[in-house]
Formats: sequence, structure tokens, C-alpha cells
Amino acid sequence: MRQRIFSVLCENSPGVMMRISRDFTRRQINLDSITVGIEPTGMARIILMFKADDHMTEHLYKVLSRLTQVIEVEVLEPETSIVREVALLKTKKLSDKKMWEVIQTVEKAGGRVLESKNNALVAELSGTHEDIERLVQTLGPDVLQEVARSGQVIISREMG
Amino acid sequence: MVEMTGAEALMKSLKAEGVKHIFGIPGGAALPIYDALYDYPELNHILVRHEQGAAHAADGYARASGKAGVCMTTSGPGATNLATGILNAYMDSSPVVAMSGQVPLKFIGSDAFQEADMLSVMLPITKHNFIVRSVTEIPSTVRLAFKIATSGRQGPVHIDLPKDVQASKADVKIPADVKYTKSIYLEPEKKKVVEAVKMLTSAQRPVIYAGGGVISSNASPQLVALAEMLGAPVVTSLMGKGAIPENHPLSLGMIGMHGRMVANLAVTESDVLLGVGVRFDDRATGEVAHFAPNAKIIHIDIDPVEIGKNVRVDVPMAADAKHGLAAIIGGLKKHAKKGRPSEWLERLEKLRKEYSPRMDYDEVPIKPQRAMKEIMGVLSENAIVVTEVGQNQMWAAHFFITRKPRHFISSGGLGTMGFGFPASMGAKVACPKCDVVDIAGDGSFLMNSQELATVVENKINVVACIFDNRFLGMVKQWQDMFYKKRRSGVCLGTTPDFPKLAEAYGAWGDCASRPSEIAPKLKEALRCGKPAVLDIVIDPDEHVLPMVPAGGRLDQMLT
Repeated sequence: MRQRIFSVLCENSPGVMMRISRDFTRRQINLDSITVGIEPTGMARIILMFKADDHMTEHLYKVLSRLTQVIEVEVLEPETSIVREVALLKTKKLSDKKMWEVIQTVEKAGGRVLESKNNALVAELSGTHEDIERLVQTLGPDVLQEVARSGQVIISREMG
Repeated sequence: MVEMTGAEALMKSLKAEGVKHIFGIPGGAALPIYDALYDYPELNHILVRHEQGAAHAADGYARASGKAGVCMTTSGPGATNLATGILNAYMDSSPVVAMSGQVPLKFIGSDAFQEADMLSVMLPITKHNFIVRSVTEIPSTVRLAFKIATSGRQGPVHIDLPKDVQASKADVKIPADVKYTKSIYLEPEKKKVVEAVKMLTSAQRPVIYAGGGVISSNASPQLVALAEMLGAPVVTSLMGKGAIPENHPLSLGMIGMHGRMVANLAVTESDVLLGVGVRFDDRATGEVAHFAPNAKIIHIDIDPVEIGKNVRVDVPMAADAKHGLAAIIGGLKKHAKKGRPSEWLERLEKLRKEYSPRMDYDEVPIKPQRAMKEIMGVLSENAIVVTEVGQNQMWAAHFFITRKPRHFISSGGLGTMGFGFPASMGAKVACPKCDVVDIAGDGSFLMNSQELATVVENKINVVACIFDNRFLGMVKQWQDMFYKKRRSGVCLGTTPDFPKLAEAYGAWGDCASRPSEIAPKLKEALRCGKPAVLDIVIDPDEHVLPMVPAGGRLDQMLT
């Protein structure tokens, strides 16, 4: 069982997400991440991350490809893809000293502060899943009030 | 463009699809549809007595005719009552287009009267489903629904029709065609055909394993031609029964849990197995590790999902059965050496004789094997046999010699008790000139016996032969064999009196309690000019044998 990524190009119509997700639910495969974006053509692109063995992955590939609303399923490999996740981090009310420390930590991690007031702030970090995990761990529950994460968006490195 | 209501657009769309019969029941949320239907007498509406019956009848119609069967209900309970029948059609890849009324758009999600979330309910049990949100969507949605149901691997499609959409007006046009871009695997890859031909010509013990896909793609002529070219025996799945005439010298009958011993042994001993239009279901394969253990497997199926799902496959061929078989035949014609494995056929002939099932019992109560023999003696090759589910079904599958495709209709994947009688009604509507006989069990028959009213009112003259043992026989058989004869919840007692039940509905009814009574009474039932019920009192202790226990090996049948 290893990390798998499907990039599913499909019609942007009601029920398509349910159809796709139930094909996983039924086979008791947990989806680690789902992200949806609308392509310039108006089609939806759904990125799915999950763990499964080779046999199940092939089966799921065929099962999703069979769906009426699915146009194409692309199998992406983590090594040949660019993977990014965005997190928005809201802090609790902090002391001046702590505020300063948090800003330093966020900027060192490659993030930036979007807003701050009343001794609390909202920061943004874009990076790999691990980059975000690391910052969330570093700041910890004493600092963080709320974390909103995008799920992972992925694109193949192939170009041209 | 002409202004019309959604309901009128629906009627015109159904007409454009060539629909002639609709099995259904109206209700509040379908009133505009039924009001429009009033002006379309050419769309013959058959009022069933339970929506499950509508779905099974549409399914039976589809299987017998090869065209999409159509059923229609109101919202809520009317629609949810379809569910079992729709899933049944899905499991057996039968093209059914089902339509339900729905509460008006603005009430959806408010738990309105007779509201059910049919988009969600139907989603996992259909090939595809729709809800239409405006009148203008109706014509293209109907076109698409029929296209999806009847193309590629066939299956049911459901359309949810909110009442306000049925009633509101708009300018609409019935499109001549609609774009459906889903790719369908018709032709096999040339490379795979070459591999398959090579494998088949060098085989010493080839077997062809044919399924429902052969029947739905009308590929029986190709199947028989290939078998004869190769001199290869043909076994079938339950759904494949009739794909080859079962009195053909190369036909060995059905494989699986209640298959013919010779068929199961042939598969086990084969060195090349060509599966076509089959999905290697667990009831057919038994323990997968010992299924055709020495064989290279070639698998032709129109649905790539099925290839490699249950058994290992050496030559995968995603293709329609007809095109796939024709391609192999084409390849063989170029090949000098066609298979002539005479030793193999001699061995199978010996096994066939050794394991020929006995049917000539004279006992009273009647042995079901004898009853099947008597029924077979009466029915011509043009008769359509439909079955219920359970022992009756497996006796029919094991013993009945089906000679034509689409002439044996059974609930395979889902195993739905109550399927047979409404499905036989659908089959009779599709093929009014054929005798249609429902081989029933008393338990299954009672699950949809209300359709006696439908067949009588509409003069749909089917005959139900009830193998009456007053038990849920197959469950009882498993309890007898695997649960120390602790018969729990399986005794059906003494009611009803089936001939009287039939007569109460205005049908013909009679009872056969001795073997010699079956043939004359069945002939009378077929000739009586109305629907009929023949109650055949059988030995309640008789099991369906031989049998491969669940998960057992095909070559180790209990006898």
C-alpha cells in the first residue's frame, strides 16, 4: 500500500463527486485528500489521494473511467508531480513577545502574515504537505486557534 | 421548436425512442405525466400492482426483446419500490429506463410529502441517473438515458422528474441524436487477437466459457461458429444459458455451484479457457485458486473493469463479445492448424455420459427433476422460460435444455426472489407469440403474486409452474446440509391454495400431484386462453444436487 494520486477530468455536474467518492467508500479505501478545480473548458478536475495496493488501484482506475460523467483518469506519481497544499493559520490572542516569535517562525517557514489585529493573526503557507505539517507542529495548539487546509493540489511535471 | 409541457416532451421523447410499452403506477407527483399519457394511446401503459413488478417487467421485456424496457412511477415510495428491480437489472446488465415523478423543485430537500432523495438512492444501483431541472432538458436527457442504457455494457438508467418541470411549458425540440462521448470497447486489440489465436490453436483441452454478454451482443452465431471451428466445448454461466443451443454436441451446460458436473470438470481440466461476456462470478468459479488451475485464460468483455477483477487473465481483450469472437474467427481462418482435440472431446463425452443427470423418477410426491422433464417435454424451443430464485431456479438452470438465446431469463447477480413472475409478464409483452413459463417456487411466487391481477386485466397469458414444497427451499437446503438440519424460519406452512389464489384473480389454476398429471395440465394451462398457475406439489426433502459448497472447488461437488 503506497500513496496513489488520480487526476480525474470530469463533467462539472451534480452527483459527480458522490459517484466518484462512493467507488472508494464501497471498497473501503479512505481518501486522504480531495481537491476540485474548474478547468478553463468548464470541466472539473478532481485530484484524489489515497493508499491502495496495485490490484485495487488498477480496479479503481477502471471503475472511475467507466463512470458516465468521467472523461479521463490520469494516474500521477508523487515523484513526477508537483504537489502543493495551502494552509491558513489563525492564532489565539497572543502576548506581544509571542506575536513577534510567531511572525518570525511563519516567515522562516516561507509563509506570510495576511492580517493581524487584537494581538492575533492569520498567516498563509503554501508548500508540500510536510512543510505545512512542520509549521503546524512547531506552532502547536497553544498558539493556533484554527487551521484551514486546502488539501493537496497536484500537477504533472510533464510539459510541452 | 414547439411550445409544450415537460410531460408532453417526455411522451414525444419516448415515442422517438420507439417505446411501445410502459410498466408503471401513477401517483401525485406523476400526475402531469399521466395526464399527457392520456393523449398517447400508442404508448401502451400497463398498470402493474406494485412498482417492484414494474421494474422486473421492464427488465424481463428488455432481456426477451433486446430493447430497453421502460417503467414509470410516482415519487417517494413509488420510486423507492423500484430500487430492488433496478439493482437486479444493474447486476445482470439489463437495459432498463426507469422514470419517477419527484416533488416540485422548490420542495426538494424539505421532506415534502412523498419526497425521497432518488438521485442518491438510484446513484449506486444504476449505470447512470439524472434529475431534470427544466423542460428543455427533457428531450436530450431521455435520448441520453436510452443511449447509456443500451450501449456498451448495458444497464439501467433512472430519470427523476420534478412535478413542476413536468407541468411547465417551454419551446422544445426532440433532437434526432445526442452526443454521447463515452468510449466503448468494441474491437479488440489486434495484438491480443493474435495471442488468443495462438493460444487456442495450440490448446489440447480448450474450453469456451460464455456468459450473458454473448446474449446481449447477439453473438450466439459467432460463439457456435468458433466452437465448431476449434472443436472446443462450451460451458456457460447462468446468464449465458441459451448462448449456445444446449442440445448442441459441443454444449456441456452451466458451470458453478449447481452446474453440470461435466462442465465443472471440463473447466478444471482445461488448458486454455476462453471466457467471453462473463464476469467470473463467485457462484460460477467456486474457490478461485482452484478455478481452471492449469489453464491459460483469455477474457473477452466489453467492460474492462471485469477483466482481471476476479481471476488472473493471461490475454485480456476489452471488446464486445460479437466483435471479439469474430476477430478470433478471422484470425483462425488464416491459421492452417485449427484445433481438433478429439481425445479431449472423447474424454468429455465419457464424463457427460457418466454424470448425465437422472430425471426419470416416478415417486409421489413428485421429484422436481421429473417435473422439469415433463415441462421440457411440453415446451417447444420457442418457449421462454423465466425463473424465480432458489431451488426452482437451480433445477431449471441445471436440467432445462435451453435452445435459443433470450429464452432463459433468470435473476443472476442479485438473486431476487419475486423476479420471475413480473419478468415473465415483461417477456410475454415483448414476445406475445412465444409461450412464456415462469418456473417458480412457492416462496418466490408469493413475493410478487399481486401481478396476477395485472396479467389477467391485460390478457398477458403467462403460465406460472410453482414447484411447491412449502419451504424456502434453498435456505432449508443449506440448513440441512451445513447447519445440522436446524430448519429455522423456512417453513411456509399450508397457505395459500395456489389454484384458488389464481382463480380469485380470474386466472386458470390447477394442481398436479402425480408426475403423469404435469404434461396434460401444463398443455391445458398453455391453451386455456388466460394466465395460468399450475401448482406442482414436489418432494419437500429434495435438494439441488450436485453442489459445490460456497468457496469449494468446482471438481469437488457434493452429490
